[in-house]
Amino acid sequence: MMRKPAVASGAGRRARRRRVRRGLAQGGAAVLLLAVLAPVLWLVLMSFRPSGATLAATLAFTPTLANYRALAGGGFPASFANSLMASTGSTVLSLLIGVPAAYALARHRFRARGRIAMWILVTRMAPPVAFTIPFFLVFSDLGLIDTVPGLIIVYLTFNLALVIWTMRGFFASIPASLEEAAWIDGAGVWSTFRRIALPLAAPGVAATGILCFIMSWNDFFFALILTRTNAMTAPVAIVNFMQYAGWEWGKIAAAGVLVLLPVLAFTFFVRSYLVSGGMAGGLKE
Amino acid sequence: MAAGSTAWSIEQRRAFTVGLVPALVVLAVVTLGPAIYLVVTSLTPLTPIHPGSGLDFSTPFANYRQALFTGSFDHSVWLQCELSAITVGLQTLLGVAVALLLNSESGFMRAVRTGFLVPMVLPPIVVAIIWKILYTPDVSPVYAMLGAFGLRPGALITSPVWALPAIALADTWEWFPFTMLMVLAALQMMPNEPIEAARIDGASAWQMFWYVRLPFIRPALMVAVLFRLIDSIKAFPLIYVLTNGGPGQVTEVTNYYAFIQTFNFAYWGYGAAIATLMVAGVFALSLLLARLGAVAPDDA
Repeated sequence: MMRKPAVASGAGRRARRRRVRRGLAQGGAAVLLLAVLAPVLWLVLMSFRPSGATLAATLAFTPTLANYRALAGGGFPASFANSLMASTGSTVLSLLIGVPAAYALARHRFRARGRIAMWILVTRMAPPVAFTIPFFLVFSDLGLIDTVPGLIIVYLTFNLALVIWTMRGFFASIPASLEEAAWIDGAGVWSTFRRIALPLAAPGVAATGILCFIMSWNDFFFALILTRTNAMTAPVAIVNFMQYAGWEWGKIAAAGVLVLLPVLAFTFFVRSYLVSGGMAGGLKE
Repeated sequence: MAAGSTAWSIEQRRAFTVGLVPALVVLAVVTLGPAIYLVVTSLTPLTPIHPGSGLDFSTPFANYRQALFTGSFDHSVWLQCELSAITVGLQTLLGVAVALLLNSESGFMRAVRTGFLVPMVLPPIVVAIIWKILYTPDVSPVYAMLGAFGLRPGALITSPVWALPAIALADTWEWFPFTMLMVLAALQMMPNEPIEAARIDGASAWQMFWYVRLPFIRPALMVAVLFRLIDSIKAFPLIYVLTNGGPGQVTEVTNYYAFIQTFNFAYWGYGAAIATLMVAGVFALSLLLARLGAVAPDDA
């Protein structure tokens, strides 16, 4: 009679302790996330601050779009457009060439499969400076320096490898039985691919395309070396504000926000693929 | 019948080859071609100042001799090791710690997890701007806060002692989410039985991590560390924006050294030799990674 309430209250205490511990973990995670994201939020704040108040560390200011308006008047929109064209062009081209190749690698046992995989891995790992030296020399001869097509070609170095690598995985995860049935009915390999495999892999194609776009959009090094003024991309344009415009912090912050917006929006769409960890290896340089 | 099916399988093989070949040809043109060109260039004293220097193969190993037997390349490699050790070490500790904290299936934690990915997906140039702001006393909220307490520390990125750790800190912020992701993925695949068993045996939180969870996530952790090690060699925008290799040469890591020798001083041949050595190093690390990837499932 005496022990029972003691046991019950012991269990209650344990449950309460577990609840407290979970609350602490969630609170800690929230605080940590805020600390990690604070520098990004600061950049956003800075971009809306009037130029006179930029240097003041206080939060009290009337938000203004002056910095964005200043950007719209200069050469930044052209650079932004260059970034868009180069990233989109390279993404589309990589998908067109890479998706069929990935399908072939997933459905057919080529003897050189292992070697192709190693080749793609090394391509992913090689330092960009190793590519830039020969590309700069050859592009100088071919007149491709400072052109958007030149950038599209350079971005193929990492995008094509990424498409083959990740799409092979997507196709491998789709059961081949439907396609085999179609083959038995006399359908060709590529009409089966178009009518059965490709629609099933569509979410994978979208996610891979978004990753390609982000990788090209994020590029700084290749564009820094291989463009001057005509094909200058947005990331390089930001750095030029730092060098020539006498440190216009408000403008730099606004340009930074504009460059990160498409990436954040797209990441939101592919976050489930990212969080599952499978595609993490392909992201970024 | 047999003949028919053979003809069909040949037909199918040809169809698959047609799909694969264009990609391999393009990949070869944009990766193998430049690689060969790079190695050939590294055997010449190519510089735009001397016309024809790109075809001068009279002293093919002069660039390599210069790299290996004069101090500045060694210096850059040493800095690279220092930077990689600090940043990969910190990323691993922080990544594992945050992954353990977030390892729960509640909706709240899953939402928080997505938030932690932000630094990793930001354009690297934006990361560089953000840290330039944090490290510039005139505009930095951190310096402003310290100033409110009467503290006036010097600028980190212009200090010969602190410039490299400052870059390592920014790089850690940018990349610890990668390790966190890989570790979280591994933790979620972990079966429940060993954890339950250890709990019944009264294991402390630390013992639970060290003896139960860590052995399970070790393969994934090794892959994450190697990926980050290789990528840390390529860090560029942070150094370009924060220190430009300085003050002096204290942040001129190998990648940056190759960049400066090639594109500032126009020593194309020498830069190509450095880049070739870097590719060789990265290739060795990739082989190790492939080996690890192959053994990882058995270990788990």
